[in-house]
Amino acid sequence: MSEMILDLGEDAKEYGRQALRAFEAAGGDQLVQQAEAKPDTRDALVGAVLNELGAWELDARTDADGLEAAAALCRSAGYWALPYPVAERLACPVDLDVDGLIVVADNQQAGAIGGLELRWAAVTSDGVRSDVVGRGVSGPAFVTALKLSETDRNGAGDVALGLVLPCWTLLGMLDRAVELTIAHITLRKQFGQPLSAFQGVQFQLTDAEVERSGLEILAKYALWSAGAGKPEALEDALALRMSAIEAAEVVFRVCHQLHGAVGFCDETTLSWLSRYSQPIRRLPLGLSATRDLLTRRVGRDGLTGLYA
Amino acid sequence: MSRATESEDMHEISSESRTQAQFRQRVRTWCEEHIPPDWRAAQTGVSDQEFARFQKAWFAELHSAGYAVPHWPREWGGGMPIAEQIVLYQELAAHDAPRLVLAFVGIHHAASTLLVAGTDEQRRRHLPAILDGEIWVQGFSEPEAGSDLASLRTTARRAGDGYVVNGQKLWASGGMHADWCLLLARTDPDAPKRKGISYFLLDMATPGVEVRPIRNAVGDSHFCEIFLNDVQIPATNLVGAENSGWQVAQATLGAERGMTMLELAERLGNAGFCWLVRACPTDDPLVADRLAQFETEITGLRGLCRQLVESNDAGTAGAADASIVKLYYSELLQRMTDFGAEIGGVAAHTDLVKSASSGWESGSWVLDFIGSWEWTIPGGSSEIQRTIIAERGLGMPREPSVA
Repeated sequence: MSEMILDLGEDAKEYGRQALRAFEAAGGDQLVQQAEAKPDTRDALVGAVLNELGAWELDARTDADGLEAAAALCRSAGYWALPYPVAERLACPVDLDVDGLIVVADNQQAGAIGGLELRWAAVTSDGVRSDVVGRGVSGPAFVTALKLSETDRNGAGDVALGLVLPCWTLLGMLDRAVELTIAHITLRKQFGQPLSAFQGVQFQLTDAEVERSGLEILAKYALWSAGAGKPEALEDALALRMSAIEAAEVVFRVCHQLHGAVGFCDETTLSWLSRYSQPIRRLPLGLSATRDLLTRRVGRDGLTGLYA
Repeated sequence: MSRATESEDMHEISSESRTQAQFRQRVRTWCEEHIPPDWRAAQTGVSDQEFARFQKAWFAELHSAGYAVPHWPREWGGGMPIAEQIVLYQELAAHDAPRLVLAFVGIHHAASTLLVAGTDEQRRRHLPAILDGEIWVQGFSEPEAGSDLASLRTTARRAGDGYVVNGQKLWASGGMHADWCLLLARTDPDAPKRKGISYFLLDMATPGVEVRPIRNAVGDSHFCEIFLNDVQIPATNLVGAENSGWQVAQATLGAERGMTMLELAERLGNAGFCWLVRACPTDDPLVADRLAQFETEITGLRGLCRQLVESNDAGTAGAADASIVKLYYSELLQRMTDFGAEIGGVAAHTDLVKSASSGWESGSWVLDFIGSWEWTIPGGSSEIQRTIIAERGLGMPREPSVA
C-alpha cells in the first residue's frame, strides 16, 4: 500500500505556479471573454500555451508525479477560468484512442466541450463507456448535449479521476474568488472605512475560506486515493465532488454578496468566474444527485477515510 | 395554478367579515375576467418596448378597477381599508397576476415622498400623472455611495432660480423608461454629510441627463447608470427644505415596505411555491422534507408581513420590524430559488429567458436565483438590515466606526 499523500510535491506546485504565469501572459481574464464571444476560437486561444506547458505529455493515469502536476494544472486553469476542458483532457483513459474523457449521468449527457474539434469518450459511474458521436449546439459556458454510442463496460477504473480533476479546476476558481473578494473589500470604502474593517464582513469571508480550505485538503486526499487505485476511490471522488459543490455554493454566495451589485456585471472578474463555475458544479451530477449516488454506494459502511 | 380548495375558502371566509368576504369574491371575479391567461408565455423573451407597453397596459387595467393605488389617500384615488388591501394582494397573487414593475417607484416611493414632504403644487402635478402612467426611477446610489448613501457626491449648485446638477447615479432600475427621477444631491459641501443633501424631482428629459443601461449577469439591462452634466432643476422641484433631503429620504424610504412585502410574500407562497412543488420529485423523502421546511418558512413570512402591515397601520410597528421582514424574505427567496435551480437540473441552466413582469420567482430558477441577489444587496443590504436589527431592535451599541 502506498503511503498516503496529503499535499502536492514541490515540483507539482512549481508547475502550477508556472502555469498561472503562462495563462496570465497568454491573456489571463481576457481569454474566457474572447472565447465566449467566439467559442470556435477556444483552441486557438489557449492550445498553444497548454502545449508549451507540456500539458498533454503529463501522464495522470499511471504516473504519480504526472497526476500531481495534472491536478496543479487544473487548479491554475480554474484560477483564470481558462476556456478549455483541461481536466477532461487530462483524465483521458490509457486504453482508448481519444483526446479526453467526460463523466456523464445516466439521464443527462452533456459536457462543456462546445467549439472544440476533439475526439471524446464518455463514461458513466457504472463504468459504461461510449464514444461521443455527435453534439448539439454550443450553449452557455460551452455546454453542449452529447450523442453517445456505447463501446464497452470497462470504464469503472476511469471514473474516479474523471470526477476528481474537475474538482481541482473548481478549487482554482474558489482560490480566485476569495482573492478577488479580499481585494474588493480592502479597496471599497463605505462609512469612512474599508469594508474589510467590518467584523460582519470579515466573518462572512472567513466562513468562505474555511470551506475553500476544507475542499483543498479533500481534493488532495481524493487525488491520492484515485492515483493509488484504492478500491474506495470512487466513493472518495464522490465525497470530494459533494464537498466541492457545497464549498462553491458558500464561497460564491459570500463573494457575490460582498462584491455587491457590481459582482453581477461582466466588468468584474467574479461575474465570469461564477458563470463558468456552473458547468463543473452541475455536470455530470448536481449536489443532490451526487449526494444520492454517494449515499447509495457507501450504504451503512461509511467512507474509509484517512484513519483506516 | 392550483386554486384554493373549497374548504380553505370556507375557512378563510369564515374568519373574515362579510364585507371582506364580498370584496374577496369581487376581486376573484375581476381577476378571472381581466388577467390575461397566457401573459407569461406571451411576455417571455419580449423586447424592452413590449415589456413597457404591457406594464403600462396592466397598470391602466388595475387603475380602472381601483386596484392600482389602494394605499394612497382617498382624495388622490386610494383609500382602501388595510384589511381589503390584504385581500387584494392575496387574490392577485393567487391568480398569478402580472407584477407592477415599472410603476413601482412611482406609486410607492415617489407618491409617499410627495405625500409626506411635497408641496400641494408638486402633488397636483405628479400624483394624477402617475395614475396616467408617469414612470419614476430612484436616483440615489452612486459608485462610491452604496450602503453608505450619505456619502453621495453628486452636487446641486444654486444658480439663479434653480440648481445646476453634476454627478453620476448607479443601479437606477428601469432608468431607460423613466419620465422622472427622485434625486438626492449635495447642496452644501461643507456641512456634515447627512446635513448637506437635498431632495429633488428631476425631469429625465432635461438636457444633460444621459441614461446608460448596464448589462448584468442574467443578460438584461434594467439597472442603469445616469450621468448628470450641468443639468438644470428649477427650485420648485426641491422637495422639503434645502439641505434636509436626508430626513425626507429617511421618512419615505421604508414607508411602503409593509404592503409591498406582503404582496411579495403572497406571490412566494402561491406561484413560487406551487412551481417548486410542481418541479420537484415529491416522492423523494429528502425533497419532501425540504419542501415542508420551505412551506413552514413561507407561512412564517406571510404571518410576519401581515403583522407588519397591521402594526404599521396601528402605529405600533417596532423600529426593526421592516428590516426583519426584508431580511427574512431576501434570504428565503435566495434559498428557495437555489433549491429550484438544484431540482431543475441542467435544464434549468439552459433556460435563458424568463417571463418579464413576473415576480422574483418566475420558475426559471437559475435566472431567479441570480436575480435574488437584488434582494440581499440593494435597498439596504442584508448586512445593513442586521445592523439595524441589532441596534434598533435589540438595543445593542452602534458599530464603533460607523460615522
